[in-house]
Amino acid sequence: MEAAVFQPFLDSIQKELQAQDPAVLAVLVALVVVIISIIFMKIVWGRKTTRSAVLLVGLCDSGKTLIFSRLLSGKFKKTQTSITDSSAIYNVKSEKVTSQTKGRGFTLIDLPGHESLRPQFVERFKSAARAVVFVVDSAVFQKELRDVAEFLYSLLTDAEIVKNAPALVVTCNKQDITMAKSAKVIQQQLEKELNTLRVTRSAALSTQDGSTAGGTVYLGKKGKDFEFSQLPMKVEFVECSAKGYKAEDGEADIEQLEKCLARIS
Amino acid sequence: MLDFFTIFSKGGLVLWCFQGVNGSFTGPVNALIRSVILQERSGSNLFIHDALSMKYKLDNEFELVFVVGFQKILTLTYVDKFLDDVQLRFRDRYKNQLEQKGAMKLLNGSFQFQDDFQQLLREAEESTKACAPAPMKTFMQSQKSQKTVKSMIETRGGEKGKEKESNKKSKNAKKEASAAEGDGDSTRGGTQSGLPKKSSPKPQENGNEGLTPEEIKRNQQEFFRRMGGGGPKKPSSSSSSKSPKPEKLQRVKGNREWVMGGTNTKELDYSNKDMNGSQDTLPATKDNAEDLKQLGQMKGDLRSVDYESSEEEEEDEEVVVSAAAAANPSKSSSKSFRGVFGMLKGLVGSKSLSQEDMEPVLDKLRDHLIAKNVAADIASKLCESVAKKLEGKVMGTFTTVTSTVKQALQDSLVQILQPKRRVDILRDVMEARAQRRPFVVTFCGVNGVGKSTNLAKISFWLIENGFSVLIAACDTFRAGAVEQLRTHQRRLNSMHPPEENGGRPRVQLYEKGYGKDAAGIAMEAIAYARSHSFDVVLVDTAGRMQDNAPLMVALAKLIAVNMPDLVLFVGEALVGNEAVDQLVKFNQALADHSMSDKPRIIDGIVLTKFDTIDDKVGAAISMTYITGQPIVFVGTGQTYSDLRSLNARAVVSALMKA
Repeated sequence: MEAAVFQPFLDSIQKELQAQDPAVLAVLVALVVVIISIIFMKIVWGRKTTRSAVLLVGLCDSGKTLIFSRLLSGKFKKTQTSITDSSAIYNVKSEKVTSQTKGRGFTLIDLPGHESLRPQFVERFKSAARAVVFVVDSAVFQKELRDVAEFLYSLLTDAEIVKNAPALVVTCNKQDITMAKSAKVIQQQLEKELNTLRVTRSAALSTQDGSTAGGTVYLGKKGKDFEFSQLPMKVEFVECSAKGYKAEDGEADIEQLEKCLARIS
Repeated sequence: MLDFFTIFSKGGLVLWCFQGVNGSFTGPVNALIRSVILQERSGSNLFIHDALSMKYKLDNEFELVFVVGFQKILTLTYVDKFLDDVQLRFRDRYKNQLEQKGAMKLLNGSFQFQDDFQQLLREAEESTKACAPAPMKTFMQSQKSQKTVKSMIETRGGEKGKEKESNKKSKNAKKEASAAEGDGDSTRGGTQSGLPKKSSPKPQENGNEGLTPEEIKRNQQEFFRRMGGGGPKKPSSSSSSKSPKPEKLQRVKGNREWVMGGTNTKELDYSNKDMNGSQDTLPATKDNAEDLKQLGQMKGDLRSVDYESSEEEEEDEEVVVSAAAAANPSKSSSKSFRGVFGMLKGLVGSKSLSQEDMEPVLDKLRDHLIAKNVAADIASKLCESVAKKLEGKVMGTFTTVTSTVKQALQDSLVQILQPKRRVDILRDVMEARAQRRPFVVTFCGVNGVGKSTNLAKISFWLIENGFSVLIAACDTFRAGAVEQLRTHQRRLNSMHPPEENGGRPRVQLYEKGYGKDAAGIAMEAIAYARSHSFDVVLVDTAGRMQDNAPLMVALAKLIAVNMPDLVLFVGEALVGNEAVDQLVKFNQALADHSMSDKPRIIDGIVLTKFDTIDDKVGAAISMTYITGQPIVFVGTGQTYSDLRSLNARAVVSALMKA
């Protein structure tokens, strides 16, 4: 039946080709080339925009590089302040190894947390992020609360991150220290602080026409107190201890984090 | 001898370490990374932290850092060469593991470097022992003992000159000579032995280096003439020097005629017209209309400095453009025939950067930076640091040396301008309000940079965001300083009338007139603010030159006694090399005269008169590089809404624009 539909079409094309009108031929050839190149470009660009990276971000000294090492190899490594990013392929560990879960992995990228390097690295990698693991040092959280909140605010109001809405896992690290705050407490304090930051940072949205320091996004809902559930992305709070509760070479307690990552991928 | 030696990747994983002493070295190495590598000071490779001095080496090809630490009091000569040797050995041995992209090999690999390290260390230590300083030769070995006495005697021709020389030569033997004179004997060796007979008529000239009395008198006269009669009074010489003096005092100074000044001082008294019984606000006149236009523009966070031509996409274009223009740098450094091939070779394939490749590009970039008003030695330090960062790095295909170096320089400039701590004044003020204490900001700087003007702009911004401000007039020296602040206060209050604030004016001025002690006024102002619950206290100080020691001591005392929350240095964007001197000396003075363990030094910079420079924005780089502190405000004009925050990318793109 399709052949019957196409037949008169093909006949007309054949007639035109036989007429040997160079202009028509040229137009046809050009159209074909354009269509092929568009399809090609779509494939190439489409591949680039698949977001397959999980970013490890956080303040300086929060334990990102050690978590990176533990997730990938399970070993404890001494670390120094990172100057540049490190990346590796992470294969998800899951209990049931079926044909679906085997081989499912993503790129784990560890970004430096130092204040002068942070913006440019986040800028470089944010478009490729499928999930963001935000590492918080639970022991000194009270002192660093405002810095943590500011970094989190700048992440959450970034235009590209709001568009992609990657899952956010806030990891409360260093739980092995006795004075570490729990994930619930950290969540409450962050909500309060972000509530205040909304006011100081975004009150001038209507009158600005130059480039603004923060994004042009208002966190959460106006009129109500900020809560993480109001965000367009999925937010989870987990606790972990990259160093481990025993001696240096002991096991790290990152099970919750691994489960989270498994759920994301 | 060495305290520790670490090898770690730039991503932060420690690959191998050696610890000679107990105790963790993570802290010092982190301090090294933060203050040197991240602040682009890697020109010199020595860093001193507490009692430890550290030397380091960057391997840019495999992204590694080698750090060795030893006690500050030791001076080990073999360390530099030792670092190089260790680096080469480590690279050769673990080339496969290090070459992989991705951190898996680094994590899984174990780097058993202990034996190699010990061997290299032993070799290095032995090499220093081998070239110990040579022992001193004995007299018998020296050449002088071989010469005969006669050969050292001067001839008689040109007596005076030669005797002068010989007298000079044997100054230590003067005593010998006089003793020889006394004896009249010439038993001792040396030059004087041949001379006593000749020099006997002139023993008193030995002290005068063989000059005749006439010559002495002539020299003395010249000397006194030059000194203007300040030397010892000798009747013959002083009369000549006194004569020019009385001529100078002939001019009689007449009184200066002021054009606008009347003889009646009542005309000069402006105080009564404006102060009708402590009026704090101006009535709304047509002058206020312009002010009122600005009302409501400064709510929220400050806008950042914007440039019309600031596009981040410029960087992508650069690669294409510079590939085409790559012919120029390569041609200039080599012959034209080889230049063509050099360009092609440079474009394709992986080449590692060496110092010679980068030299011409760095020189050009350094000149470009200096032309853009970056201080000269800071520009050269930056270029050295970029060279260290890029040495040995492997370039990808289709990238030229110029583009790589430019990109690296741009990255380091952005890194320098990024603040190293959180800069959010409004949030800190809210925190202080919650703690029921005022937030104190002090402005310091040299004369005429815009302290009072920017203080007024900042108070406008603060009252727009709902805080109440007390201005402390601690500039008790400059004429009209207090009146200037009072005028600003009235204008600001007229824009935000006190009726809004429950009957209390938003801005108040705390002043005690002129001539009083600034530190005392500041302390009283802060106490007043606390008792009347003002949110912010802005302390305006007098401008002072950084070389003026008593004024710097006074400023240090003001800051040490009052412990402000924020010490802002106000600097103008027009300043060039002088910025370095100003900031260094201000910081030095604040640190030296504070009499406490943790002195308060400059916390932030206000960059003023930014509208007067179009793209010569180098002063921003100089100031942040020297202090390491962020630029908190940028002043772009003289009206109240001309206050911005710094946009690092825009400034760097303006700086790198050709």
